[in-house]
Amino acid sequence: MILYWLGDAILLLVVLPIVVYLLRGVLNTARGIVPSVNRIAAVAAAGSKDLDAVPLLLTTQDQVKRTVETVANYGGSLDVIVDDA
Amino acid sequence: MPAAGVVLILAVVLIVAALALFLLPTIIALRQIVTGLDEAITGVGGLIDKSAPVNEVVKDINVNLDAAVDALEGLLVKKAGLEEAVGLIDGLYPGAAKDGLRNFPESKSVVPPKISEVYTKGTLTLARLGREAPIAAASPDGPALRNPARGSQGARVLYPEIRQTHPEKMPRSPVIGTDSPVQYEPADTPGVRKAKPAGGTATIEREDS
Repeated sequence: MILYWLGDAILLLVVLPIVVYLLRGVLNTARGIVPSVNRIAAVAAAGSKDLDAVPLLLTTQDQVKRTVETVANYGGSLDVIVDDA
Repeated sequence: MPAAGVVLILAVVLIVAALALFLLPTIIALRQIVTGLDEAITGVGGLIDKSAPVNEVVKDINVNLDAAVDALEGLLVKKAGLEEAVGLIDGLYPGAAKDGLRNFPESKSVVPPKISEVYTKGTLTLARLGREAPIAAASPDGPALRNPARGSQGARVLYPEIRQTHPEKMPRSPVIGTDSPVQYEPADTPGVRKAKPAGGTATIEREDS
């Protein structure tokens, strides 16, 4: 009978507080991660939206080619018209 | 049932209750984390997909711009000479001469002549208009693309100091006409004079002479 009482005392005074302590730590950590993950998701979404203008680079690429071609034509004409130094 | 058994059952029930009390919110928090991570992964995937072609496109743009810069530098040096070319660049972009021309390393040692004081303002203004071209966006002073205020300030510097002080009265423009102090010979046809003057191109009539 004494062993029963001893087991009860250990359960109530040792095991139960330890279980509560560990579970509370896990819960607090999990709750602390949630805001961070939400912020990361928001930043990733905003960054993805910032890159929506990237396809315009294709237009820029085409415009640069045309501009360089025009400059080359002007340069060729100037090379013929203007005397060398 | 002995009292010790009842207390044992009570202790076990308490432990199970504590487990349920703390594990259920933990599960909810973990589900929120999973949802947030899914959103983050979606966003990062979008970043990767959208930025994938950037490297190739920018490389191509740079190759084209490099070719244009090489050609223009070569043309400028060929037509104006290295020293004059550096002077012209320094006149347009003050301080740019110290960087020199990319394909002419010896240009860094050239002392730039003050071309901006010799060339007409109109010439330099026309040349400065080239800054509006996309190819000149990476000028040493930074892009000044179609910036009216900056363009006006830049052009204003070209004028003599007295004009920048905005005086109330400026010297009047030269007088032309039959009663002007400077008289030119009449020509038969435009551009053809009756007789070439001996010492100068015009005679100035002064009251004391």
